[in-house]
Amino acid sequence: MSALQNLAPIDSVPSSGMRAELSEIDASLRTSSLFFVTSAILWLLVGTAFGLIAAFKLHEPNFATASELTTFGRVRSAHLNAVALGFGNNVIFGVCLWVLARLCRAPIRHGGLLLIAGCFWNIGLTVGIAGIVKGDITSVEWLEIPKYATPLLAISYVLIGVWGIIAFRFRKGDHVYVSQWYILGALFWFPWLYIIAQIMIIWVPAQGVVQSVTNWWFGHNVLGLWFTPMALGVAYYLIPKVLGRPIYSYYLSVLGFWSLALFYNWAGVHHLIGGPIPVWLISAGTVASVMMVIPVIVVAINHHMTVVGLHREGWKSPTIRFVVFGAVNYTVVSLIGSAMALRNVNLVTHFTHFTVGHAHHGVYCFFAMVMFGGVYYMMPRMLNREWPSAILIRTHFWMSALGSLLMVCALQIGGWFQGLQMNDAVNYPDFLEIVKNTRPYMITRSVSGLMLLVGHIAFAVNFFWMLFVPGMARAGSGPTLFDSKEEGKL
Amino acid sequence: MSVENYLELLPIILLGILFFAVSVITLYWSARRGQLRDFDAQSKVIFTDEEPEGEVSDKFPNKF
Repeated sequence: MSALQNLAPIDSVPSSGMRAELSEIDASLRTSSLFFVTSAILWLLVGTAFGLIAAFKLHEPNFATASELTTFGRVRSAHLNAVALGFGNNVIFGVCLWVLARLCRAPIRHGGLLLIAGCFWNIGLTVGIAGIVKGDITSVEWLEIPKYATPLLAISYVLIGVWGIIAFRFRKGDHVYVSQWYILGALFWFPWLYIIAQIMIIWVPAQGVVQSVTNWWFGHNVLGLWFTPMALGVAYYLIPKVLGRPIYSYYLSVLGFWSLALFYNWAGVHHLIGGPIPVWLISAGTVASVMMVIPVIVVAINHHMTVVGLHREGWKSPTIRFVVFGAVNYTVVSLIGSAMALRNVNLVTHFTHFTVGHAHHGVYCFFAMVMFGGVYYMMPRMLNREWPSAILIRTHFWMSALGSLLMVCALQIGGWFQGLQMNDAVNYPDFLEIVKNTRPYMITRSVSGLMLLVGHIAFAVNFFWMLFVPGMARAGSGPTLFDSKEEGKL
Repeated sequence: MSVENYLELLPIILLGILFFAVSVITLYWSARRGQLRDFDAQSKVIFTDEEPEGEVSDKFPNKF
């Protein structure tokens, strides 16, 4: 690399005078970000309701059986799409595009494009999820949305991606911060994944096992090349930003991004371990999954060392509480994930609740918690108002943190036993007995789901209170620093 | 095309190669543009006059 370095000019950091002020950038994104965060919160509540119905059915099979609309298969898939594409994508469009705009340091162009794309996205998703509940669901995991709704989703997504590229194209200053790499990478990867998977599975279906390979190439990459980089981008921006301390090792953060970009794409095949596909493909997937330990350790070192010594300040910040909780869980969930890609571990965990626990660990404990932190930081700066209630923030944090950890423990412990029993035909010849043995864990999972619901309601109440009762929550001082200054407080 | 035929996997393998190639080209671009040097200065681009280095910029609101 040194030869290349000699060729390149030394990167200079432009003075702040050249750039748009952050508050100006925040204001220019206000309408679209508010729209996305509002949509995300509404989808979060809808998705939680679907999730709870599905969870109850696993220990009370007679619950909500009066209508075919609430059968397990439909409700479970409606839950997945509402939380992943409804909450997840909307909150990404709200928070990550804001981070991208701030790092590009330029006034926002074509903000209206975002809003139109956002409307189409939510209309497409509403049609899609209504289609799932109605019974038009496809049989492909992660691509359940019926054929008639997907073109609308794809087009609206492309508009959002184009907006991201425009923002990047007109950035001020040469340096591309690591969060920009993560967010731009994800903006580039997701349409590719989504459109290719739609074509190869739904529109012009590939035959035989190629279809399942495509399915899991897509399914896993949605997590690894869409949700993960977006949340890491936000964490890499917010942790140093809130604490006022640069990231511990910027070099390592860049290394982490590039190892994710180069190797993650292979990992998805580990979902098909034991399946009838070429063994070398599974081995390649397993190797790539284990190689993910490199970016994971890099992120762990960086986030931990940036926070170390500032724990007290961090604990006082809602943003840091959520984001650091997410970052710690990123390390744990990724290491568990790499272990699950090993053939002998997979032998136990495959087709059990362990995998479901792992999915919630990654998407909730890591992704969603980081995004909640992002919303807590972004909204006061957008609206120039403070959050109305500290208690509601604390309720949200504790309910979400404890609820999600309880859910992960219940599903993974129960799932591990379930896997051991399913592999032991001598002592457990009766499949139904194994199913019944999971019941206590399923009840615990429903309790944890109720805790998450309480957290989400606290979040929604605080958010809409802030939005609709401005007089209650006017910010005291400047637009970007919220502290204990006196004026304007209740 | 028979199911045993490896050629069935060709589209996915080509896509993987394309993915990989795009990443490598972007990495090359970033090296050429000097993104991989002077890491200390680059890690500070997130701080501005409005939100400077050394200042904690988020706290719980002083409310109930």
